[in-house]
Amino acid sequence: MLAAASKKQYLFIALLVIAAIVIGFWEPHALIYGIQRGSLYAVIALPLALILGILGVLNLAHGEFLTVGMYATFVLFSRFGVDPMLSTVPVTLLLAVVGVAVYLLTIKHVLKAGHLSQLLITFGISLVISELIKSIYTTQPRGVFTTYSYSSTTLAGIRFGTYEFLYLLIAVAVLVGLQLFLKKTRLGQATFAVGQNPRGASIVGINVSFVYLFVFGLSIAIVGLASVFMVPRVSIFPGAGTPYTMKSFALTAMAGLGNLNGILLAGIALGIFEAVVNAIPGGSGWSDVVFFGVLILVIMTRAIREGRR
Amino acid sequence: MPVLETRGLEKRFGGLLAVRDLSFSASRGEILGIIGPNGAGKTTVINLVAGIFPETSGQIYFKGQEINKLSTHERNHLGIARTFQSVRPLDHFTALENVMIGALFGQGMHLAEAREYAYEICDLIGLKNVDRSIDNLTVLDLKKIEIGRALASKPDLLFLDELMAGLNADETAEMIEVVRELQRRQLTIIVVEHIMAVVRELTQRCIVLDGGAIIAEGSYEEVAKQERVIEAYLGKEE
Amino acid sequence: MRNKAMLIVAAFVIAAASLPLFAGPYFLSVFNTIFVYMSLALTWDIMLRTGQLSYGTAGLFGLGAYASALLVAKAGLNPLVSIAAGGAFAGLLAFFLGFGVLRLRKIYFSITTLALTTVFSVIIRNLPRLTGGASGTVLPRALFNGDPGKNYWMIYCLALAVIAISVWLSKSKTHYAINAIRNDEITARSSGIDVFKYLLFIFVLTSTIQGVIGAFYAQQYAFVQPEATFSMNFLLLPLAMALVGGVYSTIGPVVGAVLLGLVSEYLKLIMPYGHLIVYGIIIVLVVLFMPQGITRAFAKLFTRKMQVGGVDSASLRD
Repeated sequence: MLAAASKKQYLFIALLVIAAIVIGFWEPHALIYGIQRGSLYAVIALPLALILGILGVLNLAHGEFLTVGMYATFVLFSRFGVDPMLSTVPVTLLLAVVGVAVYLLTIKHVLKAGHLSQLLITFGISLVISELIKSIYTTQPRGVFTTYSYSSTTLAGIRFGTYEFLYLLIAVAVLVGLQLFLKKTRLGQATFAVGQNPRGASIVGINVSFVYLFVFGLSIAIVGLASVFMVPRVSIFPGAGTPYTMKSFALTAMAGLGNLNGILLAGIALGIFEAVVNAIPGGSGWSDVVFFGVLILVIMTRAIREGRR
Repeated sequence: MPVLETRGLEKRFGGLLAVRDLSFSASRGEILGIIGPNGAGKTTVINLVAGIFPETSGQIYFKGQEINKLSTHERNHLGIARTFQSVRPLDHFTALENVMIGALFGQGMHLAEAREYAYEICDLIGLKNVDRSIDNLTVLDLKKIEIGRALASKPDLLFLDELMAGLNADETAEMIEVVRELQRRQLTIIVVEHIMAVVRELTQRCIVLDGGAIIAEGSYEEVAKQERVIEAYLGKEE
Repeated sequence: MRNKAMLIVAAFVIAAASLPLFAGPYFLSVFNTIFVYMSLALTWDIMLRTGQLSYGTAGLFGLGAYASALLVAKAGLNPLVSIAAGGAFAGLLAFFLGFGVLRLRKIYFSITTLALTTVFSVIIRNLPRLTGGASGTVLPRALFNGDPGKNYWMIYCLALAVIAISVWLSKSKTHYAINAIRNDEITARSSGIDVFKYLLFIFVLTSTIQGVIGAFYAQQYAFVQPEATFSMNFLLLPLAMALVGGVYSTIGPVVGAVLLGLVSEYLKLIMPYGHLIVYGIIIVLVVLFMPQGITRAFAKLFTRKMQVGGVDSASLRD
């Protein structure tokens, strides 16, 4: 689950730093924006990777949970005037509860059913959530405006937004928190063991089904946390979270299953790459292809390297 | 010319050398035993020859032709068939249809032809009531389906992986008869087996694997006496 | 028994064929849509029979639609010929893509086909000179000048052809190969099955059909536009229909399409926003409680007492 940084990873970091310096001189906004967005991608991808790594389930409803979090934050703001930053705790808790409920009602029952059932049921859940939101709030985009989310500063003659650096902070916090949890706590070590070998874990007395429940709840809670901080900067609509499922899977595939640190690196790399494509005149329409292109490329390379006969 | 020959075959899984410098051969009509303690690399040898995964180095010759580059189904077309240690019947099919698979794709027969041929094979191995679903079949029948499917591809070389595991004494005796009948038909058979009585009964020659390498070779009586073999099975006495 | 079944089938075929003689345009358009989704549901199911869950149905549908529409709009091709060309384009692309994606299994295959759908639509959106970009391309004339009867017959014949292909496949040698692959790929390979060859055949076949149906759809409405043409509905609805009816069969997707097609017409009227939620709930419930599908559940209900000869191949187990 927690592969120590390998030689390859250091090489990747080195390349990333060099690329960042080059891009920093050429188009500093792309670099800053890329790091900010990339960190956000990583925060959202980490829980997807956790569920995939521990439960073995690819959660196709991942992005929809993000949408739920955004709407919850929006409702707290518009109905009760709660500032998004103050929504952090309630929304995170709410999503944990939602995650636990969804797990108990559905995911739990297909854990042993094989990947077809899992792919189908999470796909069904994604549809239920997004359509439910549509039927309550229609497709009209909503927004939450706060002055602080558009604050900016000027450094070395470059003017840039500061709010989104929060994403980097959260990404590092979530990553460190997860690592500490997995290494230092009993439950974390149990989780780690379940991810390695569920049958073995249950033989040595670990309550595997509780670990699954906990991991799913925790993961969806992290998604909720991410959604709160996104709200002041994005437009909220029923499909707002949807693209993040694939983006998260792209990062997970790039980092390799079980490599949590790699997800942050992959996120920043793709974030910068995307920002650079956007910065190229006429390139903005193509930036979506960046993630999917990389995703397909990574998956293909792995398959070919495995050398199926 | 031997039906199967390997030269310096080696397989590495990450840091583990599962098979090392393995050279052996099997000739027509022979029953060769591969024995050894758990984790000795016996099934890995089958998987290498059948082409389930590529070897790290070494050559495999089948009927004089190097087959290293061939894929699993191509090797089957040439005449290599196998059963699986854990029975793997195709559970949406009847017993007969399971056997038909071998004839359809191993030999490239048409449906009607394959059906006829599969009936013959089932007769040969004593598999009865072949038109029912495979749910609720006995272990013996499931194992027979495994053999039947492998046989239906008309192989020259047949691997039997732990065929007797899970069978009682009567069933084992019946299965031994089936294998003897196949030998009479000039098939080359390689048995991977844990039950020593079966090895003694069936094989003319054995190779003993330990840690992926051959530690002894010869008739069962010969190898069973060797100290290295006894050590491998019982562990070294201090 | 067999004759009786044949008679019932024949009655359905004739009744459906004569629908335009007495039904009004609304009713025809409802069934027209049902046949579109039925064909897609069958192709999705045929691919699933190999054990590969494709999320690319909408992508190849959309490619066929665009290929056909652009050939008519830019090259003045006959619309009927362009429908065949749309299928050929989707099939050809699937052939080349197959060499890559068919190396993948399980979630990796599924997610890659999903990603490809997005890539197709993004590429098309970003080639405005050729494709009309985000606003799409409108064709000068709809197929058969929009005659509802002729359009109905056209898609009806296409759907019948797809049903025939599905039935033929289930009686062919290919059926044995793909069932074996789904069941256990290692056993399949060891038994002499060229797994890649069969996967490629099924992938190209189903993609071609998806392309043809997409092309028909584009010609019928004389319109292609990235968001509408690559709509997830062309994946979602067929998938739900096949699941509800019962996967790994011909009858399942057919019954599922008629059932859900009629239900969704009704839901559209009473629920303008979010009526697709019903599909989501159906998918979840079917996976949890009725993975064998409605047709097999019914068959079981009526034949419980009888000795069933065949093998119940109904489960999503893998």
